[in-house]
Amino acid sequence: MVPLSHVIIYAFLMFAIGMFGALARRNVFIVLMGIELMLNAVNIALVGFSSYLGNVAGQIMAIFIITVAAGEAAVGLAIVLSIFRNRLTVNIDSFNLLKW
Amino acid sequence: MSWTQFFFYVFAGLSLLCALMVVTRRNAVHSAIFLIITFFFMAAVFVILKAELLAAVQVLVYAGGVVSLMLYVIMLVKAEEASQVKQNLGQIAIAAFIALLLALQVGSIVYLYFAQKPAGKAAVEALKYGGNTEGIGALLYTKYLFPFEVASVLLLAAMVGAIVLAKNRLER
Amino acid sequence: MYQSISPYIPVLILLVLALAFGVVTLMVAWLVRPSKPYDEKLSPYECGINPLMPAKIRVPIRFFVIILLFLLFDVEAVFMYPWAAMYKKLGIWGFVEMFLFIVILLVGYIYAWAKGALEWE
Repeated sequence: MVPLSHVIIYAFLMFAIGMFGALARRNVFIVLMGIELMLNAVNIALVGFSSYLGNVAGQIMAIFIITVAAGEAAVGLAIVLSIFRNRLTVNIDSFNLLKW
Repeated sequence: MSWTQFFFYVFAGLSLLCALMVVTRRNAVHSAIFLIITFFFMAAVFVILKAELLAAVQVLVYAGGVVSLMLYVIMLVKAEEASQVKQNLGQIAIAAFIALLLALQVGSIVYLYFAQKPAGKAAVEALKYGGNTEGIGALLYTKYLFPFEVASVLLLAAMVGAIVLAKNRLER
Repeated sequence: MYQSISPYIPVLILLVLALAFGVVTLMVAWLVRPSKPYDEKLSPYECGINPLMPAKIRVPIRFFVIILLFLLFDVEAVFMYPWAAMYKKLGIWGFVEMFLFIVILLVGYIYAWAKGALEWE
């Protein structure tokens, strides 16, 4: 059997990679992909704890996270599209209308 | 080391490798393809952890839906445009530092507190009902009924919001 | 634990066979073929005629709305799998729950329809 600590460490490595992608990249698509990776890392942790505790509640939460991620991707990409329409770029540095 | 454990390390390692490729590729289309492979390996890990329904959902929703939506949007904006974004070295260094710090910090805490406790046994509660899918169904539509109905409102909001945002473009 | 993973052995065999098929085919082709590169070979394949326009065009935005609706109804279908597996035990109450769920999403479908997101001209 896989030790729980290894599953959790796998989840956190995945989370760190996703966070690196979301922080370091300027291409808005790769930032969104980093966010998806972070959400998936949380799913891995939930499934790991679920199978450790012998309880499916964690898996149900993971299904809700997947639902939220699908909605987030839909609305996020629609926002990217409408920003692209106004700015003609996908560089996240130029999305600065809310900046002081 | 049992076969289960061996396959866990293989699939976990491969998915981490592909995730690294996702965040380092210059071309967003390549990143999206690597993201699909990452999700497939993650689904394999879910199977090893006895979450069969979630593995299927992972492939169905993420690899089939979310990434193809991303690929469409990458094609909607000019493909060349998406690959020409300049990177800043300082930003990469700071981001890598923060991500590593987080991984080390949380990873060490988790390792100390949960060291060597076995995961990967089947969810016993679910087996009472016959299997993973049945177990999830038994809980999702009774105990977690309210979040389930709220999820439909969330999907409705996402649908309306995304159509409103894409609408201006449709009229032109 | 060998027992627990054994239903997936065929999947693993299929995976290995599929990978081997691709790799072996490419390797054999690489070993056998003559190497004569010229510019024409790099152009996209359009059944032999000359390409009419560049392949990297911007696709119409209507595809976005279609695939968006696909994604959200895909998630709806995911919620139906455990429901269908447990349908007999959930009984009439389970039917009412799923009916409510579908009605709420139907509102979104009618909205998309009324807004003309499904039209294609």
